[in-house]
Order: sequence, then C-alpha cells, then structure tokens
Amino acid sequence: MSLAAGPPLVAWLLLAAALFCVGVYGVLTRKNLVAILLSVELMANAVNLNLVALGRYQGELLGQAVALFGMALTVAEVGVGLAIVILVHRRRQGIDVDELSGLSG
Amino acid sequence: MIPGIEALAVPLLVLAVALAVLVADLVVGEAGEAEAEHGPRRGVGALAAVGLLGALVATWWLPVGGEVLGGAFVLDPFALYMQRIMLLAGALGCLGSIDHVDRAFPGRQGEYFLLLLSSLLGMTVLAGARELVLLVVAFELMGIPLYALAALQKRQDAGVEGALKLYLTGAASSVVMLYGLSFLYGVTGTTSLPEIARGLAQGVDGGPLLALGLLLTLAGMGFKVGAVPFHMWVPDTYQGAPTPFVAFLSVGPKAAGFAAMVRLFVEGFGPLRDLWWPLILVLSVASMVLGSLMAIGQDHVKRLLAWSGISHIGLLLLAFGLASDQGLGLLLFYLAAYVPTNMGAFFVAQVVGRDGDDTLPAWQGLARRSPALGGVMLVFLLSLGGIPFAAGFWAKVLLFWAAWQAGMGAIVLLGASLAVLALFFYLRVARAMFIEGQGGQAPPVGLPTAAAILLCLLGVVGLGVWPRPFVDAAIAAAGALLGG
Repeated sequence: MSLAAGPPLVAWLLLAAALFCVGVYGVLTRKNLVAILLSVELMANAVNLNLVALGRYQGELLGQAVALFGMALTVAEVGVGLAIVILVHRRRQGIDVDELSGLSG
Repeated sequence: MIPGIEALAVPLLVLAVALAVLVADLVVGEAGEAEAEHGPRRGVGALAAVGLLGALVATWWLPVGGEVLGGAFVLDPFALYMQRIMLLAGALGCLGSIDHVDRAFPGRQGEYFLLLLSSLLGMTVLAGARELVLLVVAFELMGIPLYALAALQKRQDAGVEGALKLYLTGAASSVVMLYGLSFLYGVTGTTSLPEIARGLAQGVDGGPLLALGLLLTLAGMGFKVGAVPFHMWVPDTYQGAPTPFVAFLSVGPKAAGFAAMVRLFVEGFGPLRDLWWPLILVLSVASMVLGSLMAIGQDHVKRLLAWSGISHIGLLLLAFGLASDQGLGLLLFYLAAYVPTNMGAFFVAQVVGRDGDDTLPAWQGLARRSPALGGVMLVFLLSLGGIPFAAGFWAKVLLFWAAWQAGMGAIVLLGASLAVLALFFYLRVARAMFIEGQGGQAPPVGLPTAAAILLCLLGVVGLGVWPRPFVDAAIAAAGALLGG
C-alpha cells in the first residue's frame, strides 16, 4: 500500500478539512435541527476520511480501525440526538432552533 | 482470565452495580406496577447509591499500579484518586436523586439510575485510559447517557431545551475532539499515550499538524468541562435539567474531563508543554473572569451556581496549567473539595425549588422556615466562596500559593480579587435566606435527600478541618504520574 497509487496525502487532508468546514458552517448557520444533525454527520465523516488517509500514510490499518470506532460512536450519538429532536418537535410543533430561546442570560 | 484484570476493578464494580440496577428494576417493575409511586421502585435508587458507596470503600483494598489490555488502561495512584472522586459523585448523585426521581418520573426510575451508572462507568474508564481509542470510547460512554438524562423531564419545555443545547454542543465538540485526535495519531503514528511521549522525547517533530491537532483537541475538551469560550450550554442545561442530575453533571464529567486532559496533555504531550500551556492559561483566565462577572446578576440560583461553576473551572484549569506535581495534586484536591460542596448546594436548591421556582424570592426566609437547611446551605456557599475552615478554602489557598511560587503572581492577584467578588453573589443568596422574607412552613425534605446533604456537609467540614492527608495523597498521586 503506497501512496504513490493515488493522490498525495495533502490532497486527502484538504478534502477532509473542506468537508469539516462545510459541516461547521452548517452547524452554525442552519435553523432546522435535522439539518444541524446532518452537518454534524458531515463533520464526523470528514474525521473518518482524515483517519483513513493518515492511517494509510502511516502504512497501517490502525487508522481504519479507529474510523470504524468513530462511525459506531457517531451512530449512537445521532440516535440519541434524533430522539431529542422528536421530543422538541412534540413540545413545540416545529424544529426551528430560533424558537428555542426560553432560557437565556 | 485476562492478566492484570484487577486494574479494571472500579469500572467493573460500577458495571456490576449497573447490571444489578437493571435486574432489580425489571423485578420490581413487574411487582409494583399498580403502586408505581412510592412503591418498591424507590429501592432501585437506594441499591445504586449503596452499591457505589460500597465500591468506594472497596477501593482501599485495591492493588495500585497494575495495567491491563496491553497498557491501554492503568490503575496508578492518579487514576485511583480520580475514580474515588467519581464514585463519591456518583453515590451522592444517586442518593440525592431518589426523592426527585420518585416524584417527577416514578415509572422510569430504573432508566434514570441505569443511565447515570453508564455515564459513571465511562468516567471511571476515562480516569485510567492511556490509549486514544479507549479515551474516545470512554468519553462517548460518559457523554451519550448524559444527553438522555438531561431530557428525561420530557414534559417541561426548559428541560427539553436544555437537553438539546447540551446535546448539540456535546456532539459537535466530540467531533472536533476526534478531528484533533486524528491529527495527533497521524503525526505520531501511534494511539498509545506513553509511546507518543517517548516519540516526542526522542525528537519526533510534529510541525503545524500536531499543533492544529492539539488545538482542536483542547477545544473539544474545553466544551466538555465548560470552559470559556466553550461554556454556552452550561447555564441553560443546568437551569432546565432535573436538579439532582445537575448536581452530578456539575462535578462528575468535569472530573472526568480533567482526568482525560491530564492523561492526554501531561502524560502524552508533556514534552510539548510550552505549546499548550499558554492556551490553558488563556482559557483559565477567561473562565474565571466571565464566570464571576456573569454570576453577579443572576436571580436563578441554579444559573448562579452554573456561572460560579464556570469560574471554578477556571481555577481548576490554572491548577492543570501548572502541570507540576503540586499543580496536578491540587487539581485532584480541588476536585475532591468541589464535589461535596457543589453537589450539596444543588441538593439544597432541589429542596427549595421543588415546585419549579428557584429564583431568589423562593429562598427568602429559608433560615427562618428551616434553620438546618439555611445553615447547611450557608456552609456550602462559604466553601464555594473560599472562607476559612471549609473545604473550598484550602483548595483555593493552596492553589494560589502554588501558582504564586510558579511565578504567576498576576493571575493569583486576579483570582484573589475575583474570589472576593464571588463572595458578593454567594452572600446574596445567604442574605435572602437569613435576612429577607417571612417565616412559614419548612420545605419537606425526604430521607435520602437529607442523607445526601448530610454526607456533603460531612465532606465539606471534614476536608476543611483535616485537609492534610487528602492533600498529601493527591500530591503523591500526581508525583507518581509525573515521575513514572
């Protein structure tokens, strides 16, 4: 497995960084809760891409193994998150974050 | 039998208590369906609290120094001290929750305690994790149950909103931390913290990617412990979530977050101390200042405790930033003093605010209505403020002294003046309790809550009158970590 077979490491890292930034932008600007969760997913996938690329650069499988762990954890996390979003929807009949400002100060 | 498995004794004990709670809940759930409220389900919480107290006592018979799973988990004196703090927080959290859980969601008591114990399991693993993968998994095991716990009061708008804020910041910060850790792995080529330290000591040059990785990881962990500027979720979640759960949330994950930071930054990236140390100090000063200033105007006592908690995080970060055996030892002792103090204050807040109103008017005349509650709360407030002969006093004084000796005079002066300012908002609560308002009926206190408050009081007074052995043990534990 050598990197010569594909694009250089830095290309993968930049792609992952771009994905991550799109995700961060989505988290910060989206009003819809489901869209925010999707953006967090996007960030998580950027991390997985990063791990696989760096693992391949190190010439071992550890990076891919960590990425698998990361996927499992993200699934568990998003599962709880969707449950909370459903709860919000039931209470408020909507999932727009701007309406959630009962607590402040 | 896995060799060295006894190093995992504390997490295994917590797991055993969690399974016992699960089974007990199934059994009494069948038996007590008709009389759901005040039925045998109360016993589930008592089982959790007694089990954790038993585990805490059992830690004194544990052999220290073992490691297991190829060195991924270690039971050194530092891990043991942290695990004791966490077990204490867990036991107090379960004990103080029994009354509230029985009243607010009687049919789901097993869920509450099982989630709390799962989170505690993650924390105890985190205390000894020396492997990045184990660290991440333990972090999530700690975090995911907390989101669900915060949302358990699902018929209250404030609870749902607070849970959502905890979840969104928590999930995003986990991903940021993981992104940082991926760089740390990619640059060093290993996920074992001792091996990372060895590589760095031999002069592996990380370059900008390593610095980026450290920065992102620090940001992710800053969210978890609630340091400024990653603190936005703290006041809202504290105000909205069930109060006894907040008592646990305000100390347990903080201790675990600092355990992980010590493992990662001191044990793994200690050779790069000059790189991360200034960042910690910036977070520390920002947390101290903003936490104290924002606490001044708060009328909600839970929000006040949230902001004051942020300022305490600043002091804990200062202890962490010293990264000496003094500093890390005082980090441990500060946490040990902070657990009974802060949890006790939240438990009293639960009793006073049981009808949902925790603003200062609800506290007026508390000392007249119930002199015991008023007096106990005063002790907690004085300990939070750092008045002599309460636990918080020694924690603050020793920390300031160590920071002064390390040449951080300016920060010590700032911290000391903020401590005086802090007295102002702590005593505002005392003023409402003792001077304002009329007498009346004492708020009802359940037996488990009273026991939890009493244990907290014992801890605060005990650590205040006789701090020496605890401080010495903490500094010895930190010394062993830095020396080995």
